[in-house]
Amino acid sequence: MKKQPVLKKVEPYLWMLPSILLMLSMIAVPVITVFRLSVSDISRAGVVKGFAGLENFQAIFSSAKFWHTLQNTLVWTVVVVGFSTVLGFIIAMVLNQKFTGRKIVRAIVVFPWATSLIIQSIIWKYIISADFGSLNVILKKLGIITQNINWTPTASAYFAWECWIGIFVTVPFVTFCVLSGLQSIDENYYEAAEIDGAGFWKKLTSITLPLLKPSLTVSTVLNIIYVFNSFPIIWTITKGDPADKTHTLATYLYKLAFTNGRMGQAAAVSVVGFVILCVCAGVYMVLSLKAEKEDQL
Amino acid sequence: MTSQRRKNPWARAFLYLFVFVLCIVILYPYFVMFTTAAKTRTEMYALDMTILPKKWMWSNFVDVWSQAPILRYFLNSLIVAGGATCIAILCGIPAAYAMSRMQFKGKSIFLGAVIMSQMFAPVVLLMGIYRLMLDLKLTNHLLGLVLLNAAFNQAFAIWLLRGTFLSISPEMEQAAKIDGCTTMGSLIRILLPMAAPGIVTTLIFVFINAWNEYTMALTLISTDTLKPITVGLNVFNGFNMIQWQYMFATSIFATIPVIILFLCIEKHLAAGLTSGGVKG
Repeated sequence: MKKQPVLKKVEPYLWMLPSILLMLSMIAVPVITVFRLSVSDISRAGVVKGFAGLENFQAIFSSAKFWHTLQNTLVWTVVVVGFSTVLGFIIAMVLNQKFTGRKIVRAIVVFPWATSLIIQSIIWKYIISADFGSLNVILKKLGIITQNINWTPTASAYFAWECWIGIFVTVPFVTFCVLSGLQSIDENYYEAAEIDGAGFWKKLTSITLPLLKPSLTVSTVLNIIYVFNSFPIIWTITKGDPADKTHTLATYLYKLAFTNGRMGQAAAVSVVGFVILCVCAGVYMVLSLKAEKEDQL
Repeated sequence: MTSQRRKNPWARAFLYLFVFVLCIVILYPYFVMFTTAAKTRTEMYALDMTILPKKWMWSNFVDVWSQAPILRYFLNSLIVAGGATCIAILCGIPAAYAMSRMQFKGKSIFLGAVIMSQMFAPVVLLMGIYRLMLDLKLTNHLLGLVLLNAAFNQAFAIWLLRGTFLSISPEMEQAAKIDGCTTMGSLIRILLPMAAPGIVTTLIFVFINAWNEYTMALTLISTDTLKPITVGLNVFNGFNMIQWQYMFATSIFATIPVIILFLCIEKHLAAGLTSGGVKG
């Protein structure tokens, strides 16, 4: 009953075939299409008329809106991921303490992670609306303000609120990644450190942070990718307006493609996004390989 | 041994204060969603707004079902999320099995490709996705969303499942194989039952992701009766007035089951996501 050696060799690939087919057809094919569209001349109706070389790229690079969008995307990613990571870490440290009601608090922290981004964004849109928004009503009832405040007088103010919502929904993911990391740290390390007279900071920097590095790395890498590509928050709150000043690459390319009918340029923006993420991935790989070598020395 | 550490009462007080503020901030939008859903339409746009409804309109939660085809939207979401979950798991289990139990050429390349696929969010691929769906005649079709959601969740499914499989010792399966069990038999009869918690976690996680998906549904579905709930919500965003009370009442119905499901898997999920990735 021995299996044929050939069959044995291809067997693992057969096991993976359904998964590979699914991902090739639904992800790899669109990736190729986007690259092809980025160098194509496309009519407003979406018909590919021919090869356009780098015209689409030239068009977006010569647009001030694109550069503003790129700057926004950078700010958005750094601010949201940065603040979420720090806040998520602090919250995880607190939730790792023993206190009454810890289970309930842990459950509450899950809420923003589980709620659909679109619903979360709609609620916040209502909260910050000037005339009937909940934030003004509450502040007035508490006697903190007397007149309605316009929370979003400028594009930057809108963008700041969008960043806040981004942080709000991203923190729980970091918190739970860090918590799972914290719970796998052996309590004995801390006891040994305490016997040696280590204080809070010493324990944090010499034990907690180094041992949490894998969890923090995973959560940060995933968050950078998700936040960079995030669409629903900005699309719900401002659709990139006023005057296209609150776009990130994701909403900008959506507007170019499906509102303005400029598929070719939108595809070019997508490609620029890929390239940026690939460069980040490359830098990350180099850095982690370097760190690995240093560990071995 | 924590009792040996001296408890500083100020630190305790600060801890409770921190936790209290944290809960207030997180619950605030949910409080707004709930109280607004129970307000009357006139109260919504009244000048002397109150925090709590002056009159609790519990009937909003009933009326909303007849105001718009909400039931249809929920059903569509259920079909998309349920279908995507089944396909993602059925494709993910054999792949994760091969990657945790077999040695073969290109394993690390495939693992890298799986992680790379995460970099392509649906929104940046939308033009490609749209054209693909046009070619397959699946625009405006729930099957299209099912396949897409399954594919975009494939990486996480494999990631979580592989982590689970790796945490289970292969000895039992090897013993079963010596007793004449086939590979398939040992997978189904031995590994899968042992991996049940991890599989349930994966199922629920994919289901929630597909249930909450917005961007692809927004772009691909134009017929009202085919919209999932995330897109259908916009029905209350009228031409000149947003019916916040109905929008939020529907949002509550869409959110509660997901939060309950999420709470069931929260513990396994975070551990699975980090360990699955680290073992890469």
